[in-house]
Amino acid sequence: MPVSRRSFLGALRPAAPALAPAFVAARGREALIAMGHANPEPPAPSAILLDSNENPLGPGPVAMEVLSRTLTDAGRYPTNSRTTAADLRGAIARRVSVAPGNVALGAGSWEILRTAVRLYTSSARHLVTAAPSYEGPERMAAQLGVGVQRVPVDRDGRLDLARMAEAARWAGLVFVCNPNNPTGTVHSAAAIAEFVARVARESPDTAVLIDEAYHDYVTDPGYATAVPLALLRPNVIVSRTLSKAYGMAGMRVGYAIAQPRTIESFNRWAMKYNTNTLAVAAAIASLDDAAHIEAERARNAHARAFTSGVFGRLGCRVMDSQTNFVFVETGCPAAEFKEACAKRGVLVGREFPPLEKAHARVSVGTIEEMQQASLVFGEVIGAHRSGAAEASRVSGGQP
Amino acid sequence: MSYTRRAFVKAAGLGGAGVLAARRQAWAALPGTVPPPRPLLLHNNENPLGPGPAVLDAVRTALGTGGRAGRYCFDEVAVLQRAIAERFAVTPENVVIGCGSTQILRNAVQVFTSPARPLVAGQMTYEECPSYAEMIGTPVRGIPLTPTLQLDLEATAASAKGAGMVFLNNPNNPTATILSGNAVDGFIERVLAADRECVVLIDEAYHDYVTDPSHRSQAARAVKDPRVIVARTFSKAHGMAGMRVGYGLAHPDTAKRLAWEGSMPLNIAGLLAATASIQDQARIDREQARNTEARRFTIDWFARAGFRSTDSQANFVFVDIGRPAKAFREACKEQGVLVARDFPPLEASHVRVSVGTLAEMKSAVEVFGKVLGVRAKVA
Repeated sequence: MPVSRRSFLGALRPAAPALAPAFVAARGREALIAMGHANPEPPAPSAILLDSNENPLGPGPVAMEVLSRTLTDAGRYPTNSRTTAADLRGAIARRVSVAPGNVALGAGSWEILRTAVRLYTSSARHLVTAAPSYEGPERMAAQLGVGVQRVPVDRDGRLDLARMAEAARWAGLVFVCNPNNPTGTVHSAAAIAEFVARVARESPDTAVLIDEAYHDYVTDPGYATAVPLALLRPNVIVSRTLSKAYGMAGMRVGYAIAQPRTIESFNRWAMKYNTNTLAVAAAIASLDDAAHIEAERARNAHARAFTSGVFGRLGCRVMDSQTNFVFVETGCPAAEFKEACAKRGVLVGREFPPLEKAHARVSVGTIEEMQQASLVFGEVIGAHRSGAAEASRVSGGQP
Repeated sequence: MSYTRRAFVKAAGLGGAGVLAARRQAWAALPGTVPPPRPLLLHNNENPLGPGPAVLDAVRTALGTGGRAGRYCFDEVAVLQRAIAERFAVTPENVVIGCGSTQILRNAVQVFTSPARPLVAGQMTYEECPSYAEMIGTPVRGIPLTPTLQLDLEATAASAKGAGMVFLNNPNNPTATILSGNAVDGFIERVLAADRECVVLIDEAYHDYVTDPSHRSQAARAVKDPRVIVARTFSKAHGMAGMRVGYGLAHPDTAKRLAWEGSMPLNIAGLLAATASIQDQARIDREQARNTEARRFTIDWFARAGFRSTDSQANFVFVDIGRPAKAFREACKEQGVLVARDFPPLEASHVRVSVGTLAEMKSAVEVFGKVLGVRAKVA
């Protein structure tokens, strides 16, 4: 037993495989794994991970306690465990104030988003999304041979809801990421309600998927969840995840809120036993621990304000983040910024076309991590600017 | 609560096996951890013991106070791929990790079948492939079992022409029987000859429970032949049904296609546990022996009671009880024993019963005896 444990621990930090580094440098770990490759270069153990919008603290102590206890039930399918997937639907329903029949589970919202694309799009009915926005749905559309219309965000990084509503005519599905990843901005409850009403009026067969992955991090008082809209109309769906504020990215729990008939469709497509037994128990404990989420929101808001301030003082425009990441106009190409930061032990987000030439997405870690990282950001941006000044002086000198 | 967490952190920091054992006892002693009673779960072919203590310790140690559970599993998938590759002496490019073998099975149907390229499968076999095929609009050619309840290899191979994929579950769920290595070899060759595109997926979920020496895994063939895939799971002998990890073994080109959805649904605890478990073959051998004994006991009991079982090579038995499964199931449930659902077309006569621990089976047969009205006869 000690032998296998030692070799197990030894296996945790493997040698870097050949394929990945170049790709990872360009697009990031998140993109790599989402595309089905499983060989990313592991980050140095001491690296500050600000590249995948994870909660740096993980699940709360209560959730970890429950998870640890549930290990003895790991041999049981999540339908046979002491707390079951059905109990989790109940806990989510309590938390969101809906009925359990309004809740579908996914192995992260990843699965919910993919199922939505399956259910509502086809070769004849395209997907509308924003650019840049979370790519899960458009990646699925590409795999299924479904057309995608990308509507650029506005200058402030906000979804252009008017253009998206126009693009929605004849579309199968509109993907509305609110707050939007990677720009971090939100639309108010009123704006989303108006958008949904307009799509329903002008293109009644078009479904609207509102992804609220970062819901728990929003501090803007004008924002509110779109769950009430999802309960009103059969083709409006809200997706959520426990990967962000709940700190369970590695545990894989997401969910959809919609009318019961719609939920049945999601369940029909769901991968059997999509939520694992440990995650089910830990998620229930987390969902019932409202104080923990309040504290996490406050912690993140503090570190986020600090981070925005750092970039502001560096003279970079920062979009109004309502999430656990900031989208910054660094003036440097994203790939270059990412690589330079990685060399200094800080991993930041990948490229997000069409804003890959001068913007970077930086996840918000702990305040200590952000203090350390801010020194790196200052260095990298400073070096880029003096390099750029040098280049223009040199080229200016040439006729 | 905070006491335990502190103790846990300390244990994780020290990392000694003794400390972790003490830690386990501390958990067990916590108020509220006394498991509430539940029925005997003999309906889903789970391993009643779950993962081994070393596996659980590996998970506890690695998760620590929780930071890693908050991170996406970017590195751990690759680590598991390598551990599995090592176990089979193949390359990591031969290995696809899935959220249970479910994801492997679904993705295989997704990429190798289409409305124009049907799926061929036995009519009483594990349904994941046929049911997913129906959802994506792939026609299914269902092949009835032989009168001896075997998958009909002759008829299946004869239906392979024009098909996208042929599914073979060996051992077969729910009938529990195996096809010999030679029979499967010949079958695969016939399918491959019948159609130039059709692939064969061999689902070996119950492989670790097979005791019949004529059985052979097709893993060695799969990693070489782009048209043969083997699916395995950690849900059965590895005792990790709740942790959702399975894998496919295939030629690198095929493996790439099989990774259609990627590894997003994989969870950290499952990946860590699987990595530890695949390196502990001794535990799998012990689990096989444990299951064989309890399986023998169960089959013998039914035989003495006058009910014939198939030659089970899995962790469940398929028994001709000569009456509808539904009535039997409901009566057993009332007495605290869950057995499997209906398996048409044999739902009027056969029942599938998972093999629990020997102690569990001893109490279960008491219930079976009462329900079947044969207690006196066997006792």
